[in-house]
Amino acid sequence: MTPFELVEPASLGEALALLDPDDPAVRPIGGGTALMLMMKAGFFEPRRLVSLRGLGPGITGINEGADGALDIGAMVRLGQLERSPVIRRAAPVIAETLVTHSNVRVRNVATIGGNLAHGDPHMDLPPVLIALGAEVVAASPSGERRIAVENLVESYLETALGGDELITSLHIPSQRNRRAAYIKVTARSADDWPALGVAVSLAVENRAIRAPRIAIGAATETAMRLPKAEAALTGGASWRDTGREAAAEAPVIGDHHGSAAYKRVLVGVTVERALRRALAGVEIAG
Amino acid sequence: MTAPSRTIAFTLNGRPVTAEVAPHHTLIEVLRDGFGLYGARESCGQGLCGCCTVLLDGRGVSSCLYLAVFADGAELVTVEHLAAGGELDPVQEAFIEAGAFQCGFCTPGFVLMTKQLLDEHPDPSDDQIRHYLSGNLCRCGTYPQIVEAVKLAARKRGSV
Amino acid sequence: MNDTAFVSTGQVGRSLPRVEARAKVTGTAEYIHNFRLPGMLIGKICRSTVPHGRIRHIDTSAAAAIPGVYAIVTGEDIRKIIPDPYYGPAFHDQPILALDKVRFVGEPVAVALAADPHIAENAARAITVEYDELPAVYDEVEAVTATAYVHDVLKPAGTFADLKHLVGRRQTNVALDFHLRRGDVEAEFAAADHVFAHEFRTQQVMHTPLEPFVSVAEAANGAVTIHTASQNPSFVRVEIARLLGLKENRVRVRTAFLGGGFGGKLYIKLEALVTALTLIAQRPVKVSLTMEEQFFTITRHPCTFRIKSAVTKDGRVTARKCEVYYNGGAYADIGPRVAQKSGFAAAGPYDIANVHIDSFETYTNRPPAGALRGFGTPQLVWAYESHTDLIARALSLDPVEFRRRNLLRDGRPQATGTVMRDAPLAAVLERAAAAIGWGQPFDRGSGPVKRGRGIAIGFKASISPTASVAIVNLSGDGSCTLYCGTVDMGQGSTTAMAQIAADCLGIEAETVRVIAADTDVTPYDMGTLGSRSTYHMGLAIQRAAADAKAKLAALAAELGVPEGTNLPIAELFRRKYGAQAGNIIGTGSFMPSHKSPDPQTGQTDDATPYWMSAATGCEVEVDTETGRFRILRLVNVADCGTAINPRIVETQLTGATVMQLGFTVYEGMEFTDGQLRNPSFAEYKIPGIRDMPARLEGEIVTSRQGGGPFGAKGVGESGTYAVSPAIANAIHDAVGVRISALPITAEKVYRALREAAGNPLPED
Repeated sequence: MTPFELVEPASLGEALALLDPDDPAVRPIGGGTALMLMMKAGFFEPRRLVSLRGLGPGITGINEGADGALDIGAMVRLGQLERSPVIRRAAPVIAETLVTHSNVRVRNVATIGGNLAHGDPHMDLPPVLIALGAEVVAASPSGERRIAVENLVESYLETALGGDELITSLHIPSQRNRRAAYIKVTARSADDWPALGVAVSLAVENRAIRAPRIAIGAATETAMRLPKAEAALTGGASWRDTGREAAAEAPVIGDHHGSAAYKRVLVGVTVERALRRALAGVEIAG
Repeated sequence: MTAPSRTIAFTLNGRPVTAEVAPHHTLIEVLRDGFGLYGARESCGQGLCGCCTVLLDGRGVSSCLYLAVFADGAELVTVEHLAAGGELDPVQEAFIEAGAFQCGFCTPGFVLMTKQLLDEHPDPSDDQIRHYLSGNLCRCGTYPQIVEAVKLAARKRGSV
Repeated sequence: MNDTAFVSTGQVGRSLPRVEARAKVTGTAEYIHNFRLPGMLIGKICRSTVPHGRIRHIDTSAAAAIPGVYAIVTGEDIRKIIPDPYYGPAFHDQPILALDKVRFVGEPVAVALAADPHIAENAARAITVEYDELPAVYDEVEAVTATAYVHDVLKPAGTFADLKHLVGRRQTNVALDFHLRRGDVEAEFAAADHVFAHEFRTQQVMHTPLEPFVSVAEAANGAVTIHTASQNPSFVRVEIARLLGLKENRVRVRTAFLGGGFGGKLYIKLEALVTALTLIAQRPVKVSLTMEEQFFTITRHPCTFRIKSAVTKDGRVTARKCEVYYNGGAYADIGPRVAQKSGFAAAGPYDIANVHIDSFETYTNRPPAGALRGFGTPQLVWAYESHTDLIARALSLDPVEFRRRNLLRDGRPQATGTVMRDAPLAAVLERAAAAIGWGQPFDRGSGPVKRGRGIAIGFKASISPTASVAIVNLSGDGSCTLYCGTVDMGQGSTTAMAQIAADCLGIEAETVRVIAADTDVTPYDMGTLGSRSTYHMGLAIQRAAADAKAKLAALAAELGVPEGTNLPIAELFRRKYGAQAGNIIGTGSFMPSHKSPDPQTGQTDDATPYWMSAATGCEVEVDTETGRFRILRLVNVADCGTAINPRIVETQLTGATVMQLGFTVYEGMEFTDGQLRNPSFAEYKIPGIRDMPARLEGEIVTSRQGGGPFGAKGVGESGTYAVSPAIANAIHDAVGVRISALPITAEKVYRALREAAGNPLPED
């Protein structure tokens, strides 16, 4: 690694001031697991890293609102989320997903904010958070804004965040009365990055599926919703037909994990299976 | 560009220590070059094999992916500390009794992750064992014996 | 002397924990990975970015200007101190750093030296090299007829008689052609009831020892010391001495425990480079590769195997023709030995009257290939056991019964003409079949999930002839030190050798101190490879112990002590020297008999001192909607003669199974135009704990190897032989499709299912 300056601000305002929108060699660092890989490989040679470790409790907590909505500080470690009783109760699919994500040591260090800001498509959480309707709260010198997770990543490793903008927290709307499931498909070893991740979230009212959200990750350039499949499901399509719709709609790309044609097959089968898992034990009309 | 080094203070294997580190130094380099601790080893360099595992505030981290400056104020334990009193830790005893290693290069990482596992789940299920150890690789393929060792270690710790 | 005359005193056969167990669990075991010297420089390598090209210019100025850089070294700098800086065990074809041209992406071109590894690394990245690209060849079959030549002229090392005809040959990529002719296959094909022909392929994979390749060198007063993670320090010494024009006794090569080897850390890897660098820098130099760099160092040969068999209607194989193409990459390393020593067993462990084998080692513009746990055998077994299964299925014969009918029995000649002895192939096959309940009904699965079972068997000859020498040293207090050049890379040799020595001397194995390979003190050993150590070094130790005992008896006689006394050894020394003093040094060496194969026919009646065999049974569950499969059960049964330490043998057997499982189901180096796309554990996945089959078992059959120490022989590679075809055969049994190229990915299985259904999946 090349030498760099490390600064450790004690407040958000100070941190924002230390970022430089015009210099890509200045970046914030949370857990640093992803940045370290890029730095060790020589892909990223920082001039300055702005550590977010000293920013205090505002971005390190997990809070549940009265309605069941969750606010999660950007510096919450993935392992902390995984073990949190609040998360296990209010959004258990997150804890279930994290168990399959990377490994215990990485999750002990990596943060939720960093995980999302990295914009890596081969991650497990983005499709899950998209299915849950989550938003990030981003701060910059010009103020604060909310960005839906589905709009956060624009292309491979490129996000909607400005060079002087930081994710400060993650907001997950109440999941009461909703059910969710995530299925990770790996093409090589079981501890591999996903070849495909499929997350579904939906409500069941009067034996009918309401407001389904179907999201995929890893097989596409960015994690995304599949609105046609959602519409088909709302319109009463079978799980298998919903899967077919998803496979037809998803802009799947081929890579080390498999060809696009094969991954389209996986999308269809996995969407169907994720719906089956989310709805296990529930009776649906028709 | 030469980055200014700074002094960090942390607890290492039960003793307070300080170290002069530059921002781009990794934790494993400091343990190795500054303190002569060789039980953590850099292998894959990507946090995927677990050979560089150390316990930071009781939890496993990959010291090859961890900036040394971030250890400031932390409590660090390396594999060398487990038998510091001359007595092997029950996890180490179990690895010997179960024959749970071959070349031994990955063994300190497995031992430390087993320690975190048993600290959090004293009587782990097979799933929990696989979950905690899924980020540790053994190219000699000693996994069946490692699972046996973890169960044996749990029994040893339970009966103490 | 009769080597099997030793009556065991009970140390052999004990499952004692490894003698270094405590050091390994406490993190204190020594590895060269951790070795450092005062004033040491770190070398980081700048590597070729093109698969084949002439070096036009190397610009080191920007790198050399980085503060803290000690020196930048190129191949030309090395040529100034070592006039002919080419090395290799079979061909002197590999330059220490690229000279004139590069032959694969990743080939070392220059080195940056600095005390600070970060500075060395940044400097290596700052070196720029311009190339004139040349046409390249990547495929082992194409290489035979291609007009792109990896080497302008072939340079066999001269140590192998069967390479002599290749000296000076130009316009070829064939680094060895081995031929075996027995009977008349063409006549048999013409007359046969059935003829079957198939082609099978394997991919390029890497050992990925978790201790990456590492060497440290220091030089002073006309002598060189190399501290290296090497499986054969004796070879390193000879080769470095040759390069430097020194006598062997001016070169010291020492090792410690190896963090895995698997055949990768053989011959010269970084040793010549660190030696040249320390001579240039006049400071100790360490080069420690990253995991990524290992992929550019040594690999397992990709292989194409065309196999054709004549079979009678009652299921007897009467002729077999094998065309084997090994892809050796840019430098021969030990590849020619792989092509020949494995090639002669390419027809499988079957009694076939007519056999025709052509085995080729080819040069291509890929990273070099050498030995990897089986010396080419797993590639062969993959083909002949897939082929065998296809024949059995085509003839509606039970696959185990078909093998049974054709199996080579003890006392029958193998294809070379060498009579097979002490290879309990039938016992191994029957045990594997019984272990997975072959022939008994089982759950075939339901819905989209189908289950199947497969079996396969493989064998291998010991590489011959090779020598081992051992020294047993009894000190004044009677304690025993064993000097043996076998390198412990995890296979447990330190423990096994201590057990053999202790058993011969009638002492506890735990009390024996084993000195790790160090050419200044340990005598010659050809190398820790090819499952040869237990047999060869074991016999050398037996002889050294016998020598020590004879000297003890002579000492007792000299002192007038009656024969058969139980007087402690220490007391003998005390009576002789009047104090706790003196030594008794017992030496022993072993080299088996051997007769080189006839160059035209490959025939010899003494091809190998022993054969090793293993059979694998597999039960698999296939999800037909995705092609994904789960291995429910994997049983590997091997023969190792007497197990010196049964527990270590079993661990080694399941370990080899796991390794070959990775090579079977997903490991593979992926190239685009010679560029390796996945040189890291991020994209080259090896098996983890969650990839273990629901049941994974290793079993040894009871047998005895004639001539072996206490009836023992090697077993380090056996677990790899039959795993891949057993899995492919089980998948075939489950869903009726055949995968003929490794790795067997879910996508390949799914595509084959679609193909079989007449609805092939588009390419992308």
